[in-house]
Amino acid sequence: MGEDKEKRTLTYLERLKQKAISQENYGGEVKAEEAKMEVRDCPECGAGRAFRQGLTACAYCGFKFMNTRLTDGVHIKKENNS
Amino acid sequence: MFGLFDKKYHNPELLEMIGHTQERWFAFLDKLENRMHEMCTAAVPEIKEVFNQDTDPYKRAHGHMLMGLHGQINQMRQKANKTKEESIFYFIDRATTQLPDFISSAGREYHDKLRIFRLDCINRHNIFEEKIAWYTLMLNNAVEEQDLETFYQEQLAAFEDIRNKFICKQCGGNIAIAKIFFIATYITCPFCQTQNTFTPSTGAQMVLHQARSLAEQRTAHLLKAYEASKPKNSQLYQQYLRSMFDEWNKIVPDMATENEKFYQRMLHDHTNSINHY
Repeated sequence: MGEDKEKRTLTYLERLKQKAISQENYGGEVKAEEAKMEVRDCPECGAGRAFRQGLTACAYCGFKFMNTRLTDGVHIKKENNS
Repeated sequence: MFGLFDKKYHNPELLEMIGHTQERWFAFLDKLENRMHEMCTAAVPEIKEVFNQDTDPYKRAHGHMLMGLHGQINQMRQKANKTKEESIFYFIDRATTQLPDFISSAGREYHDKLRIFRLDCINRHNIFEEKIAWYTLMLNNAVEEQDLETFYQEQLAAFEDIRNKFICKQCGGNIAIAKIFFIATYITCPFCQTQNTFTPSTGAQMVLHQARSLAEQRTAHLLKAYEASKPKNSQLYQQYLRSMFDEWNKIVPDMATENEKFYQRMLHDHTNSINHY
């Protein structure tokens, strides 16, 4: 009887452990990436992104890089709206 | 009048039922406690194993496992609560209605007996609840704290290594990164003024996530001092809170303004808390 109980607890824990390990995490596995530097060229005129009255539009041809309106964040500020 | 001269009330059946119900309630809780003990003691080494094997930076497999075990304990708590309502309180209520009036000497003895029975059952249940709290803590503390300080120092060193190694993707000019960043940011090339997007490594991004825990680890001795004080010394807690936030801001200076608001709220919560004793 005692052994039986112990077995039951163990199998329960075993199952729980398996489930915990095999459960897929939201967003998938976290991949370790190195720090990197990127630049977004303007698809219209090919110029690099430069600051001119903001960052949301191309400084040379006015192409809109993004349509969202930026709000104050840690590094991005409202002033970065073109 | 007031039933003062009524005959003494006798109900041996009820006494027997009280004894029997109490016995069953105690045995039921004993059984639940045994199961909880078995499960939790067997689970501790398993939790440690899962934690050590878990490669996820957020240790989510460990979190799932812990949550499952908490769920089991909660089920036991619900079972106990349900039985308390259905078998103890219901029984007392029903028995009370059948007794003579409380203020009559005849009913007094039995009302007292029921009251004592009720208290005994509640006290036993409180012991069960204390055990739940104890085992929950045991499961939560099954793994040792992660060494966040070493991880943080590693990330700082890694950043020092790479800070001068980046070049502008537009003109190829050298870009020196002035300070460590924990989230992506724009960095202006000093030569061609192009806005480069710098994305920190996954490790550096994790620092932001772990900053509070690290600050708490650094100031754990202050919290301990507060918790050890009797009666609890509010000044000590305020000292702890200030130093914890100072450490946090040292690690992630970018968040200082937001953290200050959070600090004010926690301080407010603490000073308005009723749990000072």
